[in-house]
Amino acid sequence: MKELQILKKRRPDGHILTLISLMAAVCLLMLILNPGAYYTAKNFRSMVFQFPEYGILAFGMMFAMISGGIDLSLVGIMNLSGVTAALILLKLVPEEAAASSGQVVFALFLAIIAAIAVGAFCGFLNGVIIGRFGLPAMLVTLCTLQIFNGLVNGITGGPALNGMCSAFQKISNGTIPGIGIPWVLLIFITVLGFSAYILKFTLPGHEIYYQGAGFKAAVYSGIATFKNTVICYMLSGIMGGISGVLITSHLNSAKASNGASYTLLTLLVVVLGGVHPDGGKGKLLGVTLSILLMQLISNAFTIMHVSQEAKNFANGCLLIAALLITEAVKKKREKQ
Amino acid sequence: MKQRKHKTAVSQPCILFAVILLFCAAAVIREPSFFGPATLINLLRAGIFTMCFALAEMIVIIGGGIDISFPAIGCVSMCVPMFLFEKGVLPDRVLLFFLTAMLCGCLFGALNGFLVAVLHILPLVATLAVSAIASGGLILLLGGREYTTLPETLRALYETNLFVYTDRTSGFTYPMTVLIFVPVVLCIAAAFLLKYTLAGQKLKAVGGDKEAALKAGINVLRVRFFTYVLSGAVTGITAMMYTTLMHSASAYALTGDEMLVIAACVIGGCRLSGGSGTVIGTVLGVILITLIQNHLNMLGVPTAWQAFVLGVMLLLGVLLTTIKERGFKRAGRIVS
Repeated sequence: MKELQILKKRRPDGHILTLISLMAAVCLLMLILNPGAYYTAKNFRSMVFQFPEYGILAFGMMFAMISGGIDLSLVGIMNLSGVTAALILLKLVPEEAAASSGQVVFALFLAIIAAIAVGAFCGFLNGVIIGRFGLPAMLVTLCTLQIFNGLVNGITGGPALNGMCSAFQKISNGTIPGIGIPWVLLIFITVLGFSAYILKFTLPGHEIYYQGAGFKAAVYSGIATFKNTVICYMLSGIMGGISGVLITSHLNSAKASNGASYTLLTLLVVVLGGVHPDGGKGKLLGVTLSILLMQLISNAFTIMHVSQEAKNFANGCLLIAALLITEAVKKKREKQ
Repeated sequence: MKQRKHKTAVSQPCILFAVILLFCAAAVIREPSFFGPATLINLLRAGIFTMCFALAEMIVIIGGGIDISFPAIGCVSMCVPMFLFEKGVLPDRVLLFFLTAMLCGCLFGALNGFLVAVLHILPLVATLAVSAIASGGLILLLGGREYTTLPETLRALYETNLFVYTDRTSGFTYPMTVLIFVPVVLCIAAAFLLKYTLAGQKLKAVGGDKEAALKAGINVLRVRFFTYVLSGAVTGITAMMYTTLMHSASAYALTGDEMLVIAACVIGGCRLSGGSGTVIGTVLGVILITLIQNHLNMLGVPTAWQAFVLGVMLLLGVLLTTIKERGFKRAGRIVS
């Protein structure tokens, strides 16, 4: 009983508060530096269109990291699913003017399903190799990253696939007619809800936490670690598939070098969101806030006319800082 | 009682050697002109950089880490001396160029080492962050331009050849640069370090089992730190060699090399979890990778599929090392 009381008395989560105050700090900073350009409807509109792409990818990374692994192949999965979707669309709707609307809808449906299926299969492959052979997830996904991106390179032959129908481009660039909410926001919220459901209300969602906290203990307590690992990486792959559709639709092109900086970005988002790199810890709310924070920062950089390289530089520094803070907090807890 | 027959264990270098022979045989059958001194010289020239990078990577991997920042570090250490030379700070001396490059490499290597060894950040994440910091910082400070004119002394070094082979039928000349000695010397030094010195034994001990090494009185922190510094130094030298031989120094010159080099180490039998790896295996790995890179089209595989083939080889290498390790454990032998 005493332990329960202590649990109830716990202060509000410090990490969430830190993230919110960081977001407030960025907003405040921009209020001083350049409010005219930052606080405009146009800027917020562009933000809403940008973050779901890497946000969904970050959810995938979160699943892998909670289970004690890492998924570096996400960008490869993203590109492979994007190319699959693009190929199907180019095959089924070669000339947009000639196609009936039913045909287009069918092609879109098929392309999206295929992209997600490819993502799930890639994740399945990762999960099976990691779970079956007990190899470090980092190595396996590093290899599969090369394989997936190599496949994309081989399929496209180098140059990008372009010229998908305009209905496909609307997924990332259009809004729901009548309401004015972007499709991507709807997709993001759906994925968020889905992830929350998995983590809160399903058995594998709970078990991956235990698995991440202590793999051996999980095995001895009879948790089906192999099954959970496969499910976890499949979920991660599905996230990769969804964001593959989004990025291909956004850029209207599919190639191997799309989203090259996303590995760093998603790692940063997830670590900043309070997911521990060793596994077992992490909250969906933290990761979501961290995604929003990164978008606030990114747009602040854009408005200050900072180049992509400088953004990468800043992201690298931020990642190290976030890791250091995580480590310091952990040490402090251990002392207590 | 069933008893498994243990076949005589075939060592990884043997398998590799066979694969290389097969590759060459297939290439000769399809393209008889493959067999000749011209191909050999081309291969040696193409493999110089991969060889040096792979040796540095091997040391880091044996020490239980991984380094994916060396392409970025290499770019920094080739651009900084060129920049200093253009500004007139650095006099035109070969040794000074190489020393400056080495110093740059050491500095970033030390940063890697500090993050990994002292602050205990995951090696992959830490070097990814350092990679972003190095290349971002380089472009921020020096701009993304390419230096194509070499200083006089470096050009003289470029023109110093061991011998020049002239093909009688086509009249092409194939110069063999004197810089080929650098990877040879590095190989011998690395082999000596691993086999006959206390430092090499410590390195293997730390990579094999950190806790045990700590209890045996090895300064784990120092060993891990210096693997990264050493890797940085070799990277710096190699980058300068690249500039000399390719007549170019740019912020994008080496990007993408990390997978190639890690693949060479892994299929050469380095265990990515640390503790084991041989120079001979790495050399064979580099030869195979260089063959794939330069002569894959001779086997009828289009160049676009090169990345995919590399990825598959990487995965096979990882799986092979793991399975072999298990076989050894089952047979009760100690993995050297």
